[in-house]
Amino acid sequence: MNIRKRHSIEYLAAWLLILAFSVWTVNLLLNIQDDWAQSNEITRIDQAVHRLVNPWRNLNRPGNDVLENYEVDGQSRALERYLAEYSEARAGLEAHRATKMPMADFYDGMDEAAAMAAALASRVLQLAAEREALRLSGAGSDSIRRVETEAATTMARMDQAFQVGLDLIVGMDERLDQRLLDLDASRRAGIGSLYVIVLVALLSSVLSLVLLRRTVTQGEALRAGAERINAIVNNVVDAIITVDDAGKVESFNRTAERMFGYDADRIVGRPFTDLIDADRGERYNEERFQPESTAFGLDESEYLGRRRDGSNFYMELAATWIKVDGRPLLVHIVRDVTERKQAEERLRLAASVFENTTEGILITDSDGIIQSTNPAFTAITGFTADEALGENPRILQSGMQSADFYEAMWESVTQTGHWQGEVNNRRKNGEIYPQWLNINTIKDARGKVTNYVGVTFDISELKASERIKDEFIATVSHELRTPLTSIHGSLSLLGGEVAGDLSEESAKLVRIAQENSQRLVRLIDDILSVAKIESEKMPFHLQPVALEELIARAIEANQDFAKQYGVRLQAEAGVHEARVLADKDRLMQVLTNLMSNAVKHSPRGGVVRIGVQRQAGYWRVCVVDNGPGIPESFRDNVFSKFAQADGTDRRRGSGTGLGLSICQAIIDRLGGRIGFESESGIRTSFHFDLPVMQRQGMSNVTATQSSEPLDSTMRVER
Amino acid sequence: MPEPTLNRILYVEDDADIRTIVTMSLEKLGKFRVAACDSCAEALALVDDFRPDLLLLDVMMPDVDGPATLQVLRERVSTASAPAIFVTAKVQTGDIERYRKLGVLDVIIKPFDPMVLPGQIERIWQQHWSGANDYGG
Repeated sequence: MNIRKRHSIEYLAAWLLILAFSVWTVNLLLNIQDDWAQSNEITRIDQAVHRLVNPWRNLNRPGNDVLENYEVDGQSRALERYLAEYSEARAGLEAHRATKMPMADFYDGMDEAAAMAAALASRVLQLAAEREALRLSGAGSDSIRRVETEAATTMARMDQAFQVGLDLIVGMDERLDQRLLDLDASRRAGIGSLYVIVLVALLSSVLSLVLLRRTVTQGEALRAGAERINAIVNNVVDAIITVDDAGKVESFNRTAERMFGYDADRIVGRPFTDLIDADRGERYNEERFQPESTAFGLDESEYLGRRRDGSNFYMELAATWIKVDGRPLLVHIVRDVTERKQAEERLRLAASVFENTTEGILITDSDGIIQSTNPAFTAITGFTADEALGENPRILQSGMQSADFYEAMWESVTQTGHWQGEVNNRRKNGEIYPQWLNINTIKDARGKVTNYVGVTFDISELKASERIKDEFIATVSHELRTPLTSIHGSLSLLGGEVAGDLSEESAKLVRIAQENSQRLVRLIDDILSVAKIESEKMPFHLQPVALEELIARAIEANQDFAKQYGVRLQAEAGVHEARVLADKDRLMQVLTNLMSNAVKHSPRGGVVRIGVQRQAGYWRVCVVDNGPGIPESFRDNVFSKFAQADGTDRRRGSGTGLGLSICQAIIDRLGGRIGFESESGIRTSFHFDLPVMQRQGMSNVTATQSSEPLDSTMRVER
Repeated sequence: MPEPTLNRILYVEDDADIRTIVTMSLEKLGKFRVAACDSCAEALALVDDFRPDLLLLDVMMPDVDGPATLQVLRERVSTASAPAIFVTAKVQTGDIERYRKLGVLDVIIKPFDPMVLPGQIERIWQQHWSGANDYGG
């Protein structure tokens, strides 16, 4: 708009200038023409004036001549002829009476002088005739002299008149000549001006051509430049948004369209504050008009972008005022920094964990030199970060582990990338404490080890409480078993009639006491089992286990028990290569438990089927019976401790209610799952899933075991 | 080498009730000769006269426990080479392994069934000697 307006003013000025020049030129030409015409006329007047000279000179001759030769008649005739000649010349001037030259005085003067000269000449001729008459009459010389004197006087007056006319003619001639000269000069000046105009016109044309050419070139350059800038603006990774001084969006590049989800034509003309989080709009408007800052918003944390769908994102905003065509424009460069903010947030979180966790963290470089430690490390070891930096973690060694121990530890770290276990270390104050240590390696993108990270926690208290618990379990175990041994042993010998025969009723009562003492023994065993497994106190000796073989052994071991219930145990055709990583004895315990449950809940003459199935990534072992099934109401509590579905039915009541809890605890420890499916009156299937053993898994275990501390209570985690 | 007959058993147990039960079981059901003592000291006092074929030792005893008693008896000529079996209620992790390393034939866990105890001991005895025969060629 502005440019167009300015251009039209320029065009108007140019046109006015050209018009003025044209008018001037025409005026000049007209003037020159006029001068030319005047010049011609004046030349003609001058010629006419010149033609007056000879007749005028002749006018006084008859008077002079007649006085000398007395030829009055001849001279009268000459005078008439001369007067006629003069009149004719004078008439020639009349044609120019309407000229621009002021000639009235001349005409009047000439006519007056001519009239006087003619009258005086006639008088002289009259006096000459009188003198002739006197002389012929012979009159006295006095009278002749009187006439001659009068003639001479008249003659003198006539000479004066003649001289006045002559002066008028000469004066007129001079004035005409001067006028001609003036006109000539004026014409010359006009022509000079014309030359200047022509020159200016020529120069202007040349200049215009040059300017035009330059304008065309500049136009092309501008167009090319604009295309280039367009291409840049639309392809940069940043959103570029211009906003006018009313805060309305003026342009919106393609990245902005993608970033905010608006098409440019939907957002142009709307306030920029539509594009930022509603809470920041006011602040934005304040910052926008602070006159001292040409740029603002450089602190990316201040603004949250708002997409069309209302979602927000972190943006880095830099805004700069510029002037285009004299109008202020606010150019915003917006970058979506959500990912960066998230990364920063993750880093901040990680740093916060590093600082605040109660686990001591120690980071070394690839040579094992300590690079960084956290506050918890200082709290545990007593070494401040400054004291630890640059040292080798050996400063913590207590000397309680053998060189072989550390060798095995580092072998594991180098081969598998990690190691974990219990280590006795020495604090700065010399105190020795047990710690759980977890070492991991950090590698760069090319797989080269850059750092080792040790995460450690002081397990002194844990160890102490474990020891107390162990002692408690051992004591309970011993103290309960000893009297039970006596009760059970006595009842057994009584029942076996070793101490003498029993009556039928006595035998029945002894059997009841005996069965319940057995039940009590199992209960104690199971409680201790659950406590040990759940406290992870029970060592698990992991080794590859062939499931089919184990199932066969379990069936063999429990077949006699099943017979008591009139039930048969049967292995389904299985999968030969089914191998899992497990503790054989514990797995046997699980199988036995599931089988005895199935047997106890099977109808007499029933069959309990045990099979192995391959599932995605794991093996499933199923123990299936055709018993009454698990009541709907009990299904949620199947794995709860002391839970028995048939709690009221003690007909077979030899269970402790802990079996499935133990199974679940064991399978959990082995990294598997346990579950069941039950269709009332049709079948119940208990199953457990264990991960398919990988070659890799095997080597890992070997490595872990080789790196275990000598202490055989080393736990297998997960 | 023919298998020696198991006849004389030295039993050390601090709990009198259990001592009674075991003695009754072994004598009446197993027809063994049993010398039951309540401590290591009492055992030492009679081993030279009794000359047992087998040592049956409780583990958890005050003053001198089962393993220590075994160690002491090993220093006696009359019991230096007598096979031993432990009886214990203390079956914590690794216990059985550790006892086996002390040179005992087996470990019988309390509570045991006295009705089958003689048979159990007889079986361990036989397995020991057949194993010894295998090794001895």
